[in-house]
Amino acid sequence: MESMAEPDKSRNDSSLETPIPVGAVPLESILCTEELSRRPSRPPDYQKENHALVELTSALADSPSTIFQTLADTIQEITQCDSAGLSLLTKDGKSPHVEGKRFYWPAIAGMWNPHVGGGTPRNFGPCGDVLDQNRTLLFSHFERRYPYLVPVNPAAEECLLVPFYVAGNAVGTIWAIMHTGRRKFDGEDNRVMASLGKFASSAYQALVHIENLKVQVTEREKAEAEVRELASGLEAKVRRLVEANVVGIVIFTLEGAIIDANEAFLQMVQYDRDDLASGRMRWTDLTPAECRDRDERPIAELKASGVFQPFEKEYLRKDGTRVPVLLGGTLFEGAGNEGVAFILDLSEQKRAERSLRRSEAFLVEGQRLGQIGSYSWRVATGEITWSEQLYRIYEFEIGVPVTFDLIRTRVHPDDLTLYEKMVEQAANGGKDFEWQYRLMMPDRSIKHLQAVARATRDQDGQLEYIAAIQDVTARRLSEEARDKATSELAHVASMMSLGTLAASIAHEVNQPLAGIVTNAATCQRMLAATPPNIDGALETVRRTIRDANRASQVITRLRALFNRRQIATESVDLNEATREVIALSLNGLQRNEVLVRLELADNLPPVTGDRILLQQVVLNLLRNGSEAMSAVHDRPRLLLIRTDRDEGDRVRLSVKDAGVGFEPQAADSLFENFHTTKNEGMGIGLSVSRSIIESHQGRLWAEKNDGPGSTFSFSIPCRREADLPSNDTALVACAPSGRDTA
Amino acid sequence: MISAENQRQSIIDAPRGEVHPSVVRSEDTRIAIERPLVSIVDDDESVRESLPDLLREFGFAARAFSSAEEFLASGSVAETSCLILDIAMPGMSGPELQLELGRRRQAIPIVFITGQGDETIRTRLLKQGAAGLLLKPFSDSALLAAIKTALRVS
Repeated sequence: MESMAEPDKSRNDSSLETPIPVGAVPLESILCTEELSRRPSRPPDYQKENHALVELTSALADSPSTIFQTLADTIQEITQCDSAGLSLLTKDGKSPHVEGKRFYWPAIAGMWNPHVGGGTPRNFGPCGDVLDQNRTLLFSHFERRYPYLVPVNPAAEECLLVPFYVAGNAVGTIWAIMHTGRRKFDGEDNRVMASLGKFASSAYQALVHIENLKVQVTEREKAEAEVRELASGLEAKVRRLVEANVVGIVIFTLEGAIIDANEAFLQMVQYDRDDLASGRMRWTDLTPAECRDRDERPIAELKASGVFQPFEKEYLRKDGTRVPVLLGGTLFEGAGNEGVAFILDLSEQKRAERSLRRSEAFLVEGQRLGQIGSYSWRVATGEITWSEQLYRIYEFEIGVPVTFDLIRTRVHPDDLTLYEKMVEQAANGGKDFEWQYRLMMPDRSIKHLQAVARATRDQDGQLEYIAAIQDVTARRLSEEARDKATSELAHVASMMSLGTLAASIAHEVNQPLAGIVTNAATCQRMLAATPPNIDGALETVRRTIRDANRASQVITRLRALFNRRQIATESVDLNEATREVIALSLNGLQRNEVLVRLELADNLPPVTGDRILLQQVVLNLLRNGSEAMSAVHDRPRLLLIRTDRDEGDRVRLSVKDAGVGFEPQAADSLFENFHTTKNEGMGIGLSVSRSIIESHQGRLWAEKNDGPGSTFSFSIPCRREADLPSNDTALVACAPSGRDTA
Repeated sequence: MISAENQRQSIIDAPRGEVHPSVVRSEDTRIAIERPLVSIVDDDESVRESLPDLLREFGFAARAFSSAEEFLASGSVAETSCLILDIAMPGMSGPELQLELGRRRQAIPIVFITGQGDETIRTRLLKQGAAGLLLKPFSDSALLAAIKTALRVS
């Protein structure tokens, strides 16, 4: 039996059918079922039978796992047989299953008990025969037909097999075996077995149900375990997220309620648990008004697909400030309008972005103004950020927190009121501003600062100023120096402009000389008269002495004037000299509403000459052009100043005006003294200018423009040929007179 | 320069007293009426002080004014037989006064005197009707010659 049964158990489904051996004895030869009715039947023992059924029923209720064994024991006890058991139809030869390919023996009582777990094929065996014929059969030595039963010891003298059914289908058999002839099965055995078969059916169904339940339970437990594992993993992850407080988590409804939120979220928006518990917190209220429209898209996504794409928005904190966040989330399945959202605080990123932007802005402003300090001032929070350069300008230790109180300690006392007014206006105004103020450092030195501030709005829509501050102390000092130089030059220009100089020399010297000569002549005549007019002559002599002294003083004064600067022969960059003149006369030109346009040639070679005298010429030409346009009202008062290289290694400068111009026949007389088309001045500027240019071996001329106005030009060689005897009027007029008169 | 000028002008110096030998004292206004009035307009005080004395030595009546405006306002314009006029003055210049007198149809011969200038100026002013031009300093004889010429022209 073992050897037969074991290989069978290992067979797969396709090999479960056993081929019918050639020469096997026919079924009829092993059947003796009719004997049952012929044999004398023993009397039924109903008491015993009832007792057994009650035990079976209670066993089924108490210990279903052993019911088959209890059934086998009961069969053996009631039928007084040698072995009793069940055969169940299975697919795999082991588990109870309807419409299987084999029978297996789940429980055996008596002598065959060691064979529990064995079985027989469905298509070729006693159990199959019983199911095929659908009735109780009595076999005698069935091993004669079914050789696989030969090794199953002891051999079955007789075997009574009864089928049992579930829902009309045969699912197995119960059987009782006599291994000897000491007793034969009879009609009473047949009746009892049929009764037990019905019980077996119930037991089988109960067991199958229990098995199914077990399977279901197992599967459910397994599923539950998986879910639990999954859940615990997920939970752990979520818990880590929640506890890390990196991510804010909110359970919400589409309608705007916040059902629950973690600590991170509460911190983000600066609410507390009480706010949450009170139900006061609504995400719709946390959303700034201008962001609400943006929420419509994710809500539509939520309704449509249950999730929404993460997006950036802002939440209002309890105090009204804003926190930038990244938001993602999903609706709970089957929960209708509830969902969970995950919120990431972007403040740090935004701060970093902002500080980057700020530093860029610093840079831009810095480049605009040159080497400067810069600051940002967030008006709402009072947060002031300074660049290192600004700390250096203010001479504070880099990094100390900047406050207006601190700044105030440096502002010049005289500028303090102005400063505070500016701060107040800036805080309320939100406009760009520029201003200048002074600092007084601890050592009482003064710094001049110039500030340019731009008003911007930051992430929260809050007013923020980004400003550049330049220390213009050096510039201010140089401006002062320049102003001084300007006034000096202006003095020189008016007092010592060559024309004025020549005129004043001649005038100043010749006036007293004229007096001297006249008085001398008068004196001579008075003394020669008859009688001589002594009193008159003395008076003329007194005047003569006075005038002589006066002439002497004039010479001394003029000499002093000349000594103040020597007429030089130097290398002059005419472009640079011209720019200086324009810078100096810009105020006057602007006052006369003259537009100056410069077209200065690149790489203009330097000329040799007297820079100041040449500048005097340029100044005279500028004034001349400007004044010629003073009556012009119907067109721009445009003055075009141009430098060029001229033929023969010369440099040309021209000044083109849009003024009244001159008559062609007057071109020659323009440069004469006293020729003027103007109401003011004596018209000696052009004459003087021509003298200067000629002393530089150059030429000065005027042309009438095609359009309105005229163009005055001069052209001078880059190199002087030799030191000419100076034909400079000023020197000629001054120096010899000085010698003669001093 | 000065001495050269003096020498050059002294050559043409006129004999003194030739025009009005009887004139002795210039203060006498009754006599002055009969004498031609020479007016002087110059901003320089030395000239205003010295020139009238010399002119009176020559036998003219003389009045000095410190500006063109003062002269125009003085009431002496019509009486003036000859005007000795400085060119460069604050306010109205000598040439401008010449134009103004032309406008007023006051044909007074003018001898310009100037502390600075050259031949081109002389030519131009003479072309415009000036009787003469003297560069300061000028000699007494040059002055007398110029005045004589001016009076002859008128």
